[in-house]
Amino acid sequence: MSENDVEKKVADRYLKREILGEGTYGVVYKAIDTKTGHTVAIKKIRLGRQKEGVNFTALREIKLLKELKDPNIIELIHAFPHKGNLHLVFEFMETDLEAVIRDPNIFLSPGDIKSYFQMTLKGLAVCHNKWVLHRDMKPNNLLIGSNGQLKLADFGLARIFGSPGRKFTHQVFARWYRAPELLFGAKQYGASVDVWAAGCIFAELLNRRPFLQGDSDIDQLGKIFQKLGTPTPLLWHDLEWLPDFVEYSSQITQPWRKLCPTASDDALDLLSKMFTYDPRTRISVQQALEHRYFTSIPLPTDPAKLPRPAPKRESHNPRTSDLNNGPVVLSPKRKARRVMSDREGFDGNSFQVDKVDERGGEIRWAAGDNSGRNEPVLMSVDFSVFGSKPVSRPTINSADRSHLKRKLDFEFQHPE
Amino acid sequence: MAANFWNSSHCKQLFDQEEVDVVHPLDKDKGITLEDFKLIKMHMAIPICKLAQQVKVRQRVVATAVTYMRRLYTRKSMSEYDPRLVAPTCLYLASKAEESTVQARLIVYCIKKMYSDDKYRYEIKDILEMEMKILEALNYYLVVFHPYRSLPQFLQDAGMNDISMTQLTWGLVNDTYKMDLILIHPPHLIALACIYTASVYREKDKTAWFEELRVDMNVHDVPSVEASFVYLTALSFWQDLVKNIAMEILDFYESHRLITDERINTAFNKLKP
Repeated sequence: MSENDVEKKVADRYLKREILGEGTYGVVYKAIDTKTGHTVAIKKIRLGRQKEGVNFTALREIKLLKELKDPNIIELIHAFPHKGNLHLVFEFMETDLEAVIRDPNIFLSPGDIKSYFQMTLKGLAVCHNKWVLHRDMKPNNLLIGSNGQLKLADFGLARIFGSPGRKFTHQVFARWYRAPELLFGAKQYGASVDVWAAGCIFAELLNRRPFLQGDSDIDQLGKIFQKLGTPTPLLWHDLEWLPDFVEYSSQITQPWRKLCPTASDDALDLLSKMFTYDPRTRISVQQALEHRYFTSIPLPTDPAKLPRPAPKRESHNPRTSDLNNGPVVLSPKRKARRVMSDREGFDGNSFQVDKVDERGGEIRWAAGDNSGRNEPVLMSVDFSVFGSKPVSRPTINSADRSHLKRKLDFEFQHPE
Repeated sequence: MAANFWNSSHCKQLFDQEEVDVVHPLDKDKGITLEDFKLIKMHMAIPICKLAQQVKVRQRVVATAVTYMRRLYTRKSMSEYDPRLVAPTCLYLASKAEESTVQARLIVYCIKKMYSDDKYRYEIKDILEMEMKILEALNYYLVVFHPYRSLPQFLQDAGMNDISMTQLTWGLVNDTYKMDLILIHPPHLIALACIYTASVYREKDKTAWFEELRVDMNVHDVPSVEASFVYLTALSFWQDLVKNIAMEILDFYESHRLITDERINTAFNKLKP
């Protein structure tokens, strides 16, 4: 068997479904693993663009996920090359914590919050035990599976922090989750940066809105100090020696009770320890997990019973049948949307392409708002020419075509 | 230091000497003997090292690259995976995995500068293709632990952290990558074996320190239950193990003197299609 045949055989193990998201280093598909029958998410990593082989971020992710096997960390099931691209097969995750927090129909009980947050810390503890910093902790990197299990994902910024004194970049984390030492330009830091971010996630779970929403690095520090008070050298010894240290006008600490009105005393105590300014005295993830908050009443909810956004519509959705009768456009989705914009079926179901965050390295594979109305397609069938998800039945009859042509002509005459 | 080694993929992938010393059937057909096999692997560490100096990466990257290459040849043949391409590609991959990325362009440029020989004429495309094949052959396991990390602590603990001893042991550790030790033994034992060898070489009696260390490690360093079995086994044979590794290192130096260029060329010539 030639090499290509072997490749094709591996690739054909997966039945490709719709696109879940797109990012700078590739596309994420939903797929069925025919060997196990499980639904998986496949990240296709584009190669060759910059002639730099396997994308550096992707390689980091592969390297670390191969070491981190845990129920609270996303599983890298398989990796394989196909047609010059590297494909990473992950377990399929239904949703993410951001969707849970943002969903106005979801009520989170104190036990629910405890459960989600405990799983977050458990996953993080596994990373830190293996000397891995995640460096991109935020609600939409915390994926949630169909059994309610929360798992850490997106290790594209993660690193091993074993050797002491090694310098790292401070340009990590989405700004709202960035620890003050990073905002002050610290190049040597440790696990405590993840703890700060976890604290932000905890507060966000409690308040149901992002805790510290700065719109620049300077403003971020301002927002932090406004809520938690301006740190003094007494509280944080090395503060003034940080590379980008600037003095802020002194503000007083607000009481935690006021910042998170719904939280229990135990929760507030844990929060205050996670938001300790001096990274060296900030609570560790392990200590946080041992905090009395997790053993006091109410106990963490069983993950399977946790509230999650309403399940996505499946392919037997009645609405999809009438949609299949209509014309389907084999053109870039940008155009497809324009031509079809009056069709109800396309509106809510347009592919969820996540907003690329400030570093632009983001791709999602938690289920978007896709109804899986496509027939399964073999992995080896390449749809990249369409720049869109596989379209199973491009039934364009002649009547539709003339209609389309008129529309397209129209666009030609009025280029944007 | 040890706590994360014992549950790493590196630890789980340690081989027995007999598993490493298997010449791939395809190579055997070409008349490659076990001795040739070892010689070629040893020799290919040299271009990796030279190339690393050119592109300015840390010793750690070299060590990881050599480890990738040695792991690759426990599974794949030299006939299908030409060592002359595998060596620079391993360095390229290791530079990324160790967070000191070197551009493929620079590697290709440096190879061309270093060798006028046509056998080394590889383009970027070849390196990138090989990168993918190596990744697959390594089953995407990229984290490697090295003896370097524990070396300074051990030396300090033994009171041998003067410049001359540090340089000697560091050099010995570098040389262990000319052997398959990194595939077979836990890295901190290799570090200790190098210290042991160095102390014998400089005629420093460190028996007492090695005794003490054994007790120390017994108390503090026992990790998870699963790993502690491995660990305790290692512990009971601990001194023997370190001594055996040290013996292997000395044996290597002994035989290394007898290797001639001609011998290496003969081995490489057998690989020709």
